[in-house]
Amino acid sequence: MLQIEHLTKVYPNGTVALKDVTFTVQDGEFLVIIGLSGSGKSTLLRCINRLIEPTEGRVLWDGANITRASPAELRQLRRHVGMVFQQFNVVKRSSVMTNVLSGRLGYVNSFSSVLGLWSKSDRERALKALERVGIADKADNRADALSGGQQQRVGIARTLMQEPKLILADEPVASLDPVLSHSILRYLEQLNKEGITVLCSLHFLDLVHRYATRVIALKEGVKVFEGLPKEIDRAKFKEIYGEEAQEVRATTVEEG
Amino acid sequence: MDARRFNLRRWFVTGFLLLLVAAAYGIGYRETEINPVKLITSLGKSQAILNDLLHPDLFTHQTHDTTLDIVFPVPCGSAQPTQLPDNQAHIFANVACANPGDTVSVSGTGMQPDTDVKIQWLLPNGNALFSKLARTDAHGNFTAQVQVRPINTTTGGIPSHLQALTAVPFGGLLPSQALKDVINNIIVTVFIALLATTAGTIIAAPISFLAARNIMGHSRLGTSIYVIVRSILNITRSYDSLVLATVFALWVGFGAFAGVLALTVITMASLGKLFSEAVESIDPGPLEAVSATGARPIQVVVFSVVPQIIPDFISYIIYHWDINVRISTILGFVGGGGIGFYLSQRINVLEYQKAGTAIWAIVLVVWAMDFFSAEVRKRYT
Repeated sequence: MLQIEHLTKVYPNGTVALKDVTFTVQDGEFLVIIGLSGSGKSTLLRCINRLIEPTEGRVLWDGANITRASPAELRQLRRHVGMVFQQFNVVKRSSVMTNVLSGRLGYVNSFSSVLGLWSKSDRERALKALERVGIADKADNRADALSGGQQQRVGIARTLMQEPKLILADEPVASLDPVLSHSILRYLEQLNKEGITVLCSLHFLDLVHRYATRVIALKEGVKVFEGLPKEIDRAKFKEIYGEEAQEVRATTVEEG
Repeated sequence: MDARRFNLRRWFVTGFLLLLVAAAYGIGYRETEINPVKLITSLGKSQAILNDLLHPDLFTHQTHDTTLDIVFPVPCGSAQPTQLPDNQAHIFANVACANPGDTVSVSGTGMQPDTDVKIQWLLPNGNALFSKLARTDAHGNFTAQVQVRPINTTTGGIPSHLQALTAVPFGGLLPSQALKDVINNIIVTVFIALLATTAGTIIAAPISFLAARNIMGHSRLGTSIYVIVRSILNITRSYDSLVLATVFALWVGFGAFAGVLALTVITMASLGKLFSEAVESIDPGPLEAVSATGARPIQVVVFSVVPQIIPDFISYIIYHWDINVRISTILGFVGGGGIGFYLSQRINVLEYQKAGTAIWAIVLVVWAMDFFSAEVRKRYT
């Protein structure tokens, strides 16, 4: 169980990105966070694994206080929290294999990993992860030789190496062609069905309806909605996104 | 009225500032002793030197050296003159002997045609005294006027000899001694630059991470280290390579080692700055991603930072090697060894043709390094 309590983030330049946000995520949920760009979705996800230090409030995970963890404890916690990014954040000049293996860094000896010495089991695990996302044949390619959708799958494979219990996905499909959105989100859905909790920020309402088990909406850093996806109707949508917002569909193609 | 007074004041201020600027240039013109006319009028005086510089000493021939020799008593009767042979090549004077102050006519016959002849006195004390140069005609004969000097006087029964030396070249071209020396020295220079670049890189690479805000700026301790390292790099960079080379030459003695030390410090400071800027300009995304997996800081650097900076690092290292070759040619002037030292010495002893060889070698090597570095950088970035 992940508890976010009174989380507030004020950036050094005075921007209030999050204001007193509180919610709880039960194990096994697929929680989608919606809101306009700049509403604090990315900051919220990064405060959970402390890529960004929250100003106030705390994050509890299965009773452990992430916000108070020492650097060593934080690394232990992060090992089980996978993260998927809008810009994929793969190392472009490294091979796909190296990118995927880097997801295992929290588990291995720093000396041998720095020298690029990986155990056979780690390599096999990496190949299996690539097989799961369907790009095992690209293992030896440089990451920048892959398309956007393929790079995001490398990102997911990297996350799988962590044996995550929780995945934070920060707009995982926003940089992809809309038609590729489902292919990426279906991997996350599959992992969610295997018991991994997923927190995912999304833009498109149809994707929210399709994948979310529960939804949280942020507006200017404040939580303005928490409930089931079907509760977000046209009126609620206008309330969250503002009067001028028009709903855009991610795909017109029905997935089969 | 008001507007006009305002304009008047502005006019005065502008005029005053213009006056100051004019004064500055006036003083500058006088103090730097600018004299464009000299560029033309001095051309004649320095033409020989410029000509030497443009005709570098590159090749020599192997030569057949011959010396023709006669005894020439000064004054007459002080020794027995040489009996002249009839057939083979020989030299003779129009008189068999003379007194100091006389001018005698020296002739040679049966010699190699169209060849330079060096006429000299072999003095009683065994030293040679150069007299003049002559050239044989198409028949192998020459005649030249030679002044008899008091030093040619027979001393202790030993008379002076008159000699005619020829050096007839044969065979192919051989590299001259100057060319060999220049090649040796330019190799030293390139290696001074190579060693200094390597040592500077080895020091600068780890330091550059400490001087990168995106790596160090996350904690108070990190920020302090960042500020300290940055300051050290900035202070070190403000020392000129010539000043440093002079200091090191006084410290460890003149030679290539002093040059290596000075260049290492310069390279360290300069590459440290360039590297740290390369580290600061990386895409922060992969850094974030690898940090999020629970990796330790060293693993984060190796897996997310290093792959991104390698092209920049290689490009900067090659570029700096190129710069270092340029600097190290000059460092020799202040005791840094290599081609610069050779060049400054040749200039000091007025051997301008050899200096010319060194200058051409520097031009060639700098050009080659420039080309090489540009090519490598093109490949890697």
